[in-house]
Amino acid sequence: MDTKKLGLVFFPAFDWAISPVHPEREERLLYTRDQIVEEGLLDMPSIQEYKPHIAKMSDVERVHIGVPDIGSLITNAHLVSAGGAMAAADAVMRREVGRAFALTRPPGHHAMRVVHGTRGFCAINIEAIMVEYLRKAYGIRKVAIVDTDVHHGDGTQDIFYHDPQTLFISFHQDGRTLYPGTGFTDEMGSPMALGTTLNIPLPPGTTDDGLHTVLDHLIMPVLADFKPDIIINSAGQDNHYSDPLANMKITAQGYARLADKLKANIAVLEGGYSIESALPYVNVGIILAMAGMDYSKVIEPDIHKCPAQPLAVTRAIKNLVREQQDMWGMREKLRREAVFKAGDFWSRTRNIFYDEKGINEEQTETVRLCPKCTGYLTIGTEAYGAGFDYKSAFAAVISQEACSHCRRAAVDAVHNAKKQGRYQYYFVQNKYEDRLETM
Amino acid sequence: MLLGLDVGGTFTDGAAIADGKVISVVKTPTTHGDLLQGILTAIDQVMEEVGSKSFTRIALSTTIVTNALVEGNIDQVGLCIMPGPGMDIVAALPVAPYVLSGYIDHRGRVLTMPSQDEVIAACHQFNKCDVFAISGKFSVRNPCSELAVTQWVRRQASPEHITIGSEVSGTLNFLRRTNSAYYNAAVWRQFNIFATAVETALKARGISAPVYVLKADGGTLPLLVARDYPVEAIFTGPAASVLGIMAMNPTEIPALSLDIGGTTTDIALWQNGVPLFAEGGASVGGFVTALRAFRLSSIGLGGDSLVYRVRGELKVGPMRLGSAMAVGGPGPTVTDAMVMAKLIEFGDRRLAMQAMEQLAINGQTPREVADVVLGVAVNIISQAIDDMLAQQANKPVYRVADIVHGTRFTVAQVIGVGGCAAGLVPLIAAHLGVPYDLPKQGMVANAIGAAVARPTVDITLRADTAEGYYTVAELGIKNKLPGRKFTLTDAYQLAAQHLAELAAIRGISLGATEIIQSEEFNVIQGFLTVGKIMTCRLQIKPGVLMNSEEGL
Repeated sequence: MDTKKLGLVFFPAFDWAISPVHPEREERLLYTRDQIVEEGLLDMPSIQEYKPHIAKMSDVERVHIGVPDIGSLITNAHLVSAGGAMAAADAVMRREVGRAFALTRPPGHHAMRVVHGTRGFCAINIEAIMVEYLRKAYGIRKVAIVDTDVHHGDGTQDIFYHDPQTLFISFHQDGRTLYPGTGFTDEMGSPMALGTTLNIPLPPGTTDDGLHTVLDHLIMPVLADFKPDIIINSAGQDNHYSDPLANMKITAQGYARLADKLKANIAVLEGGYSIESALPYVNVGIILAMAGMDYSKVIEPDIHKCPAQPLAVTRAIKNLVREQQDMWGMREKLRREAVFKAGDFWSRTRNIFYDEKGINEEQTETVRLCPKCTGYLTIGTEAYGAGFDYKSAFAAVISQEACSHCRRAAVDAVHNAKKQGRYQYYFVQNKYEDRLETM
Repeated sequence: MLLGLDVGGTFTDGAAIADGKVISVVKTPTTHGDLLQGILTAIDQVMEEVGSKSFTRIALSTTIVTNALVEGNIDQVGLCIMPGPGMDIVAALPVAPYVLSGYIDHRGRVLTMPSQDEVIAACHQFNKCDVFAISGKFSVRNPCSELAVTQWVRRQASPEHITIGSEVSGTLNFLRRTNSAYYNAAVWRQFNIFATAVETALKARGISAPVYVLKADGGTLPLLVARDYPVEAIFTGPAASVLGIMAMNPTEIPALSLDIGGTTTDIALWQNGVPLFAEGGASVGGFVTALRAFRLSSIGLGGDSLVYRVRGELKVGPMRLGSAMAVGGPGPTVTDAMVMAKLIEFGDRRLAMQAMEQLAINGQTPREVADVVLGVAVNIISQAIDDMLAQQANKPVYRVADIVHGTRFTVAQVIGVGGCAAGLVPLIAAHLGVPYDLPKQGMVANAIGAAVARPTVDITLRADTAEGYYTVAELGIKNKLPGRKFTLTDAYQLAAQHLAELAAIRGISLGATEIIQSEEFNVIQGFLTVGKIMTCRLQIKPGVLMNSEEGL
């Protein structure tokens, strides 16, 4: 019972890799482990280490619809990583610690609701699984997720795109210059949830200065307005100046100060592939900041390699902050307009690429905008690719707050689709009854 | 003939063992002002009983280091650290250190060399210190900075002793190594005064047996070596008992040992015949160290624990007023309850009955009171056992396989030693639903353990084939790797060679060795495997000498 303590779920999965030389490999957190242990962090009275749980299939299916089933698309490592985030959540909710950091792998923020395979190193979304677990087990409602990975958290955005109770904020390197190529300012959530998705695409070369401008003038005020019950940080570390897969210039100090200001209740590791030069220092910085300890001495030995922020970048960030401040200020008006414009149903069709095996998914989502409840969602999905057997499915998602009419309509939609027989598999993700049904 | 001596808070116990049999057991009061007097009395008594002084070895488990620390009878240490970037550990250390620049990174690469000018300034600041301790972050990956600073300090201040962090422990944890090094230097003088006194006294008695000192991890060190690593001689009492159990009751099944004394109960968990070790190391005066020690849970409950009522409810311990009323003590104790319940025969049963009568309410019979008292005592110990098992189950592991296929520790046997084990252990075993064993002579398990403890030492070898070198911190070695292809098997062999080398330096016979930790990772740059990082930790297997078949 120490609410100033940090709970640390450290799970480096030393026996798991996507493939031997893949960035997501056994060695990824080796140097971080070395640094954490050598510092003596695990012996600090303000830090309590926790062991991950193993997430149950029902925990995963509360979020995901795997085609043909989620079990065949993941490994035990994914269940342990998701279970690590859940263990962090439990430690916080039971008030054993004030905050928790799930320093686990594999990551999850590119995994969307429908899963055909692995994309952006992610197969299941460990934050989303944790968030839905928090709602189920502890009755949490309003959640804010701040994704600080250099890549747009497109999976998390997808899962909560229609959920006005989840504020998803992602800053990342501009999608025109980096995977997954999304996360632009006009992706704001579907009409009922308009404004609760907030994207901040930053120009390459952004440094601690730019990041903290965004944090101080946009993210923190927005969080204060939204008043979430809990703040989650998708703590990717690939904005670091030494990261091999991106072009941002954030330092360990920049990340530690971010963690200090954000005061997330739970942080979950996402990406970060500068495993030797960045991760040991960034992780120590975040751990110290979250534990309320002095992090001022966590400075990379090669800090001289971090360049200053170009003027053009500073200017671009100022404009972006202003634009998104305005959007946030007008969000109620924008939401009303969008709902009015959409009528009873809102729909979008997207192509989603799974880089791991080159799978293309064609997906159509249709949201019922119900005046009495949060409505329901139907999804039609078809996936194809070289060396990949065509797979298709139709699913309906019933929210926890769905009215009886919407609950019936959602099931009817799946029955009708099955009658027409265009798809191979049919599902009802019933959050009202907390189960995934195969029809 | 092996002689073991354990200096406890109340008694100094001695045991002589020949051909795997205990041939003499003595108990003398501990002489607190001068521990040596009690030790010599015990030795004299053993010599008288066995009629010989031809010991092959004398092993000491003493409280000399613990006492020096508790009484503050320690030296001021010139503590120099090289923390580099990272957590500020200054506040987490027992004394204010001098912070030097210089940094080695996690791969053992020197990023900044320490500065000689700073070392000179440190020596000026520590001009009153005759002992120094030097510790650098990641020095176990490359000892060169610590060794350079040591040389400069030696030249500048010529102290009587310098403890080097990477020599005290070869494993990662800068904070723990620094604390270990500090305490080692702090108790160095007191221990050496004691060691000299022991040697002089034995010589005067014409005893020529080599003297060993017990360590907290159940191994022993020759006294000559212990003079350089005195902090190893801390917390040996519980270790001695645990070793005694190992000698008297070799068991391969998962077991739980209870050492129930007058005021405390020490609980240890056993797997494959050896007790589990404390994660990271022992804590000294609230500061974590890298000292290897058995993982013991110590609770304030023993035979002499006072029994009393708080708002009608019976409470047991942790305070002790004196011995049991059955032997004329001042208040009712757990022992009195055990006597009343006929679990043991001790002292005067009528006095024990009076003790229980004092506690009776609502027309309880003394026997009913005794049963309640024992129930409370069993609950307290069972709770501590549950906590320890839960802690074991929640111990973090870092591999998927260990989480998915990890097995829970399930106690299959209870072993009881210590003066007050006989009465309580059967009740606790019944509570857990497992069989128990009460080894004969469990009352002096500690002295027997000291007598038979095997000398041990461990080393950590880390090879980085991408960087092309390997280190053995305990030996201050950083060498080029032989050949192009270097495998984990080669690493084991190399580690075995260096362990033999270190054993020879320490005057320890090699005996059976075992790998206590091993890991191997590919090092990848871009998309190419450029080498491997291997770590293996090898030790001389701790255990007992002359673990003869007929038992003890």
